[in-house]
Amino acid sequence: MEYKIELVNLSVYYGDFHALRNINMQIGAKTITALIGPSGCGKSTMLRTINRINELIDGTRIEGKILIDQKDIYHPKTDILQLRKKAGMVFQRPNCFPLSVYDNITYGPRVHGIKKKAELDEIVEKSLRATWLWDELKEKMKKSALSLSLEYQQRLCIARVLALGSEIILLDEPCSALDPITTLRIEELLVELKKDYTIIIVTHNMQQAARVSNYSGYMLMGELVEVNETSKIFTSPQDKRTEDYITGRFG
Amino acid sequence: MKSRENLIQFGLLIIALSTIVILLLIALFILKEGLPIILRVGIKGFICSTHWSPQQGQFGILAMIIGTAWITAGAILVSLPLSLSCAIYLSEFSTPKVRGTLKPIIELLAGIPSVVYGFMGMVILFPLIRNYLGGAGPSILTASVILGIMILPTITSIAIDSLQAVPHSYREGSLSLGATRWQTIRMVILPAAKTGILSGIILGIGRAVGETMAVIMIAGNSVIIPKSLLDPVRTLTANIALEMNYATGDHRQALFATGIVLFITIIILNIIAHTIARGGVEK
Repeated sequence: MEYKIELVNLSVYYGDFHALRNINMQIGAKTITALIGPSGCGKSTMLRTINRINELIDGTRIEGKILIDQKDIYHPKTDILQLRKKAGMVFQRPNCFPLSVYDNITYGPRVHGIKKKAELDEIVEKSLRATWLWDELKEKMKKSALSLSLEYQQRLCIARVLALGSEIILLDEPCSALDPITTLRIEELLVELKKDYTIIIVTHNMQQAARVSNYSGYMLMGELVEVNETSKIFTSPQDKRTEDYITGRFG
Repeated sequence: MKSRENLIQFGLLIIALSTIVILLLIALFILKEGLPIILRVGIKGFICSTHWSPQQGQFGILAMIIGTAWITAGAILVSLPLSLSCAIYLSEFSTPKVRGTLKPIIELLAGIPSVVYGFMGMVILFPLIRNYLGGAGPSILTASVILGIMILPTITSIAIDSLQAVPHSYREGSLSLGATRWQTIRMVILPAAKTGILSGIILGIGRAVGETMAVIMIAGNSVIIPKSLLDPVRTLTANIALEMNYATGDHRQALFATGIVLFITIIILNIIAHTIARGGVEK
C-alpha cells in the first residue's frame, strides 16, 4: 500500500532541546489521523514539520525524512512553496488576515499566480460551499473577515486552505478557541472533508480524537508511543503509558 | 501619612495642569495679537491673496502657504520611499539584534540640530543643484531633500513600530499557504500596518510644516509663486522668523496671524494622526 505521508526516523531539535525523537509513522490518503498527548509532547511540532512552517523558528534542526507521495520534502530541491500549497495548515486561533472575506479565500490562489476573476470566483464559491459558509457569506464577500464570529473565522481559515488546492489539511488544535457546539460543527465538517482530503489533527481533547479520527497517535515527551486505529487506541491500548493517559490517570 | 500622600498628589496635579495652562496662554496670546488683522483684512483677503508687502499694508500669505505646501509635499516624496524601505527591512528581514542597534541610530537623526541640516544643504546641495540642474541653489528642491531627511526618523520609527505590531500569526498564516516573504509583506503585513504608517506620515508632515531654521537657510525665502522646483520660496514659518524682529503695528499682527494659520494646521494634522492611530487599534 502506498501512503500519502510517511515519517521516517524523524527527529527535530530546537537548539539543544530534542523535541521529536525518532518518529516513524505512515498515514494513508483520505483518512483523519489525530495526534493526542499532553502539552509539550511534540504533537504540534510534528504537524508543523509537515508544512515546513517550523523552520520560521530559529535554531530548528531536523533529522530523518518526511515523504509526501513518496517524495522527501526536506530534499534540498524541494519547492517549499509548492509543498505548503499541497499541505495547508489551520492554526489554533483563527488567523484570518485583516482583509475582506473574498480576499482571504483568494489569497492562496493569488499568491500561486491565479489572476482571472472568473476563476477566483469559482474557487471562492467551491471552497465556501465545502465549508458550509456559502449561504451565510455570499452576500458578505466585501466585509472584513475579522468582523465574523470565531467559528466562521476558523471555517474561513479551512476554506482558505481548500481554495489553495491542498491535498493535505493540517489542523493544530483548531477548536481550542471555540465553544462545544461550534466545535461539533467543525468536527462534522472534517468528517465530510475526509472524502477528498488527508487530514491530520492535533488535539488535546480525547473525545474529539475519538469522534472524528480513523487513526490516533499518542505522543509523550517527543516520542510517538503508540499509533493505531482510533477504536483500538481507546479500547485496547497496547502501551501502558497510552492506557494511563486515555483513562485519565495522567495528563 | 495619608495627608502627605495627598499633598504630593495635589502638587503633581498642579504641575501637570500648568503645562496645559501654558499651552492655553500661548494660544490665547497668538489669537489676541493676530486675530484683529485677520478680521480687518478678512479671512479670504489674508489667506487667498498673494500680495505680501507690509509697507503698503498688503497682507496676503497665499505665496507662503503655497511655498510650505510644495516643500512639505516634496519632503514626503523624498522621505517616504526611504523610510518605508528602511522600516520594512528592519522589521521584516533584519535580525532583532540588527534592529535593536539600527533603530536607535535612525532615531538619533532627529536629535541633530536643524541648523546643522540647513548648513549641510548650503554646503553640499547648493553647489550640486547649481552645477547640474541650474538656478541659484536655494530652492524648493533643496529644501525638500533636506526636510525629507529630517522627517525620516519620525516616519521610519513609527512605521517600524506599526509593522512590529502586526500579529505574528498573520505572517505564519501567509507563509503556511505558500506565499513568499515579499508577498506576505505586500499583501498582508503592509495592509495590516497601514493605519499606523499613515499616522506616522502625518506626524512627519507636521514636522515638515513646522520646521523653520533649516528652511530659512536653504529655501531662498522669496515671496513668489514658484514656477519650477528650482525656484526659491518662503514658508509660513520662515515668514515669521525673518520679519518679526523689525515688525510693528499691523505688520506685527499679520505675523501673529501667520502663526494662527500654522497653529491650526498643526493641530488638525495631530488630530488626524491620533484619530487614525486609534482607529487602527480597534480595527
